[in-house]
Amino acid sequence: MASPELASAEDSSTRNPNSGKEDGSVSGTKKTCPVHAPAGEEAKRSFRKGIARHNDYVKISVPESKVSRLPTEWWKTAIAFFYAAFNLVLTTVVITVVHERVPPKESSPPLPDKFFDYIDRVKWAFTVTEVNGMVLVAIWLVQLFFFKYKSIACRRFFFLIGTLYLYRCVTMYVTTLPVPGMHMNCAPKLQGDTQAKIQRILQLISGAGLSINNSHLLCGDFLYSGHTVMLTLTYLFIKEYSPKSFWWYHLVCWLLSAVGVLCILVAHEHYTVDVVVAYFITSRLFWWYHTMANLQILKCSPNNYLTNTWWNPLFNFFERNVQTSVPCSYSWPITWASACLKNPCKKYSMVQSSREE
Amino acid sequence: MKNVEAWSAEDVSDWLIKEGMPEYMDVLRQSQTDGPALLRLTQADFQVPPLSRVSHDNGQQLLERMDILRMTTHIEDHKNGHANGHVGGMPNGTSKLQRNGTLGRKDFEMIRIPMPTIEPPRCSFPTEWWKTGIAFTYAVICFVTTSVVISVVHERVPPKEHTPPLPDKFFDLFDRREWAFSICEINGMLLVGLWLIQWILLKHRSIIGRRFFFIVGTLYLYRCITMYITTLPVPGMHFKCSPKLLGDWEAQMRRIMKMIAGGGLSITGSHTMCGDYLYSGHTVMLTLTFLFIKEYSPRRFWWYHWFCLALSATGIFCILLAHDHYTVDVVVAYFITTRLFWWYHTMANQQSLKETSQSNLLSRVWWYRLFRYFEENVNGTVPRNYQLPVSVRALSWMRGVKYSRLDSQ
Repeated sequence: MASPELASAEDSSTRNPNSGKEDGSVSGTKKTCPVHAPAGEEAKRSFRKGIARHNDYVKISVPESKVSRLPTEWWKTAIAFFYAAFNLVLTTVVITVVHERVPPKESSPPLPDKFFDYIDRVKWAFTVTEVNGMVLVAIWLVQLFFFKYKSIACRRFFFLIGTLYLYRCVTMYVTTLPVPGMHMNCAPKLQGDTQAKIQRILQLISGAGLSINNSHLLCGDFLYSGHTVMLTLTYLFIKEYSPKSFWWYHLVCWLLSAVGVLCILVAHEHYTVDVVVAYFITSRLFWWYHTMANLQILKCSPNNYLTNTWWNPLFNFFERNVQTSVPCSYSWPITWASACLKNPCKKYSMVQSSREE
Repeated sequence: MKNVEAWSAEDVSDWLIKEGMPEYMDVLRQSQTDGPALLRLTQADFQVPPLSRVSHDNGQQLLERMDILRMTTHIEDHKNGHANGHVGGMPNGTSKLQRNGTLGRKDFEMIRIPMPTIEPPRCSFPTEWWKTGIAFTYAVICFVTTSVVISVVHERVPPKEHTPPLPDKFFDLFDRREWAFSICEINGMLLVGLWLIQWILLKHRSIIGRRFFFIVGTLYLYRCITMYITTLPVPGMHFKCSPKLLGDWEAQMRRIMKMIAGGGLSITGSHTMCGDYLYSGHTVMLTLTFLFIKEYSPRRFWWYHWFCLALSATGIFCILLAHDHYTVDVVVAYFITTRLFWWYHTMANQQSLKETSQSNLLSRVWWYRLFRYFEENVNGTVPRNYQLPVSVRALSWMRGVKYSRLDSQ
């Protein structure tokens, strides 16, 4: 701050009382310097005297911001979690409803699909998909555990998952596609038996909809593919929130994800269009959200059409206090550990981080 | 030049001649006006004789010149005065600032401050019609590809007896109306017509046309992909699909030509092929023309925007009412169109999004290079200015919202 400087300058001024009047702007000439305001003259003069003594540096005071730029705000993460949970439950309800409307495979054969024409069905492929999916989710959870800003990353993950499953509810519900293959065993329809339906819903939720857990018995949830959403989204998050130098790690996760998506098609469990649309919507939503969150300049820009989405108020609520990009730094979650594993992959210098604002 | 304070009457006369005011010379010489006296002249002096007799503008010009003279003098004084008087005190603590301000130094060092010359501003919105030509070619290629793919997919559509229409929520709620699809197509043609007129009247039509062609081309390209990979059955038993031409290439080519010529509209009789359901091209055109119309017309024409919105919404509703597309086709088409439009325009309006960086994830789309190529020389938001295309003189008769320098950032 300028005050210590000023204090020493004042001392010098009291020591030289005569020198207080050398300034050409005072002292009885009739020329008044138009640029100097008479009010702050004393302070400026003594300050300049101080500078003249140590005349090689100028101190620029940087205001310290008292507010953290990346506040944790766990309560917002909790809200995002409930949003995601609500949408997941809604999805299972809609699957149950849609299941009743799926035309039987005898009367409505599988639709012609280009991929199915070329590649025949392989029975064990869907297991590969689900194993890959579980591995990716586990890796992401581990990574999140060590991530320093886990509340923010978690919040984003829950929000995106929730929104993607919400969109999925809409597309599943409006039009019902027939089963993609004659091999699919759909559970019998329960016309109006609400109790049994609720049981089904609970079974679906508890098994997370995976056929490994025997909870993937319901049909009709084809457009678009939830498995693709999970595989793609976990990969995108893993890649975004890990150091850029870990290319082997990214490659492994990418392989897991790509093989998983391919195996969905090889197993004839979804149409190709389901997978393509799911990939498209997931990647676009992820990039859209993260660009809005990372570039602060977009928040003040008037021509920002990215805010025209329906979820923009939710976005503002979650990301209002996040003022920079989340750096990928890692630390032991238990704070008494002495070793702090810090791996700043994106090296932010003062220059860079101020430029991002 | 000596300081004004030191001027004699001779110097004053010389200065008057130099400044082109010889009329004052005699009067001031008679009254022995020297430098300081000259500086003491005020406007009141010009109201009374003798100066009022020779001055025709109440001395304005002379007073102005004197002001300039004063300022020049003052600056020169302070050149020395600032250097020594403000900082650090006088080195020997003796002499005050002398009245001639030179402190004994006779030679002034003139420091030249280079003022940046205001160059004529480079045009922020260069027309670059050849880029628009490329975008147009891209759109045409995509349209032709779409027609070819529709023709191919038509061969693979399962017959409606074999695969009945899929269950659809909207179809359950609303029964089919035959006249609905004509409404949709009329609305579509109206919107395209309005957009065309508006586009012709725009000043930066090359840039905006480029954007329209690019977005339309990309949307139809995506449509090719989704139509091709999975073929949905016909949405209603009312469909009359033309017979399949298995392997007859010539007939297929003719069919493609007919479709392109008719624009794929059933009013023109070129909508006879089935299978192009996911996603709906009609919805794309209705939504996209409305978005462009709204974006590139003045904000205050709210009635015009509402009218176009009504046309667009009614058109889309009528597609579903006519049972001509599944609901998911329309929903996906609307979603993809709006997202692509907003994505493109946000990137085009923000300079910081036109370069790849760690924070700019919008640049990861596959068409980013193409986008950069089209928009690299466009600086800022394209203003909504209008101009008659046949411009003998450029006539801007409808000023839209003018973006000032402040706004465009």
